[in-house]
Amino acid sequence: MRFSLCNLLWRIVDLIIAAIFIYAGVLKALDPVQLARDIDHYKILPWTVGVALAFYLPWLEIFCGLALIFRLFYRGALSILTVLVVVFLVATIAAKARGLDITCGCFGHASQNWSFPTHLALDLGILAALAALCYCSVARARASASPAPM
Amino acid sequence: MKTHILTLTLSFIFCLTARAELKWEQTAVELHPAHGDKQAIGHFKYQNVGKTPVHFKSVHASCGCTAAQSQKDQVGPGEKGEITATFNIGERTGTQIKTVTVETDEAANQKTVLTLKAIIPQELEISPTFVFWKQGEKADPKSITVHAGKDFSVKHIKVSSSSPDFQTKVEETGEGQFKVNVQPNETGRLIASTLTIQAENSPKTFYATARITTAPTAPVAPVAPGQKAPAAPTAPARPPAPTSQTH
Amino acid sequence: MKFSLARQALILAAFSLLPGVGQAIYFRDKISWRSPIPPSEMVSIDQAREWGDSAIWIDARPDDEFARDHVPGAISLNEDRWNELLPEFLAAWSPGKKVVVYCSAQSCDLAREVAERLRKEAQLPDVFVLEGGWEAWQKKNK
Repeated sequence: MRFSLCNLLWRIVDLIIAAIFIYAGVLKALDPVQLARDIDHYKILPWTVGVALAFYLPWLEIFCGLALIFRLFYRGALSILTVLVVVFLVATIAAKARGLDITCGCFGHASQNWSFPTHLALDLGILAALAALCYCSVARARASASPAPM
Repeated sequence: MKTHILTLTLSFIFCLTARAELKWEQTAVELHPAHGDKQAIGHFKYQNVGKTPVHFKSVHASCGCTAAQSQKDQVGPGEKGEITATFNIGERTGTQIKTVTVETDEAANQKTVLTLKAIIPQELEISPTFVFWKQGEKADPKSITVHAGKDFSVKHIKVSSSSPDFQTKVEETGEGQFKVNVQPNETGRLIASTLTIQAENSPKTFYATARITTAPTAPVAPVAPGQKAPAAPTAPARPPAPTSQTH
Repeated sequence: MKFSLARQALILAAFSLLPGVGQAIYFRDKISWRSPIPPSEMVSIDQAREWGDSAIWIDARPDDEFARDHVPGAISLNEDRWNELLPEFLAAWSPGKKVVVYCSAQSCDLAREVAERLRKEAQLPDVFVLEGGWEAWQKKNK
């Protein structure tokens, strides 16, 4: 019973998280030139690195989102997305602590007017969901690995 | 793998810089100068949280329009100070982002970029600010769109032409939106006019230009190998000053 | 065939490179890897010189720097006195002319900002930023 509930929740959260990352990735991939300029505005990364990220990160998000939906390279996608969110969180909090007015730009230019608390809440929510997905994935792996009772 | 290394490196950079000797209260400031302000001033406060003095090697702005000044050349342990960045607005419009690069003799973090973002309120947004007819072209009216800027309420606008050779007519196309039709009396002569556009009851004036231009110049053939490049460009002749007329 | 976590992540990261590279190639004219100004909006000194009289040179630097020295025949147009200086430039412009804007060096933003205003507000075509700026001009003309 517990396993079925986990299974159902897992699938729903899977799809929601995947949709969020695919949406965020598509928004950024539609205008990588503007994304590169947004990254450059804060003068933290060299221009070349910013351009590279602008072309690469959106597709990483899209492919990881698709991997969650189709359950291909599932654990790999989960780990990449978790690392991405943790880095964005650490970067945003550390920068805010230093007074840098930085938003992670998760949704590209569309999210530039979001407040810091909004960004933080969204990132923490996504991280919690990813943690839940990791837990369910491990539980599922253990359940299929353990031998059936006689 | 590259993403993991890159993202890990980014997080380390942030952690390292957070432990630098000079601690900044904030390194990015957003200013909203009032309508008509000539300058926008940003204050970047810092404190030396380290045990050794920090010496400012240089403080320089990204452009000549921003002057940056440090209160002191050297900051002792525990001392506070601030860098003031004065941005001359001039006749700039929209969102302006200027940076000030501060170089110190700190071991961990020698360069800090301070960002000054000034959002300049624009009472009227005019597009285009230049309309032209080629000499001999049919003197059809051309339109300029004027609309009220964000946070401004404009009910009427006044448009006047500095030259009687151009006629202007204002149409209201929506709330705070206007269309200015500009038409020359003739396009045989190289005439010009400065259109002064003003929101009703506002002292601030905006400008657009209407002009009859010479016909397009023939494209210059690229220089063949062995031939000399053409001479450096010369200053063009100024047309006679236009006469004034109020619409 | 089951892959380890690390291999899965590596494969996904590698797959993501492909469309990224494709987009980088597609957008190569709209964005430069070296500077924020796209290649289609930049011009080298040699190329600008080839345009001869069909090019109008604009100096986007502050008045005092322009007064000290500037490209022969260049017109001063800066954002400090935009409304005052713009009419002189427009008097020199005619359809077919190419506009070359420069400021002190490649790293200076003034030329890019003036060029953008001419494109967006005055809606002029063929507006370019000089690669290397005044610094590069001086080196070429030593």
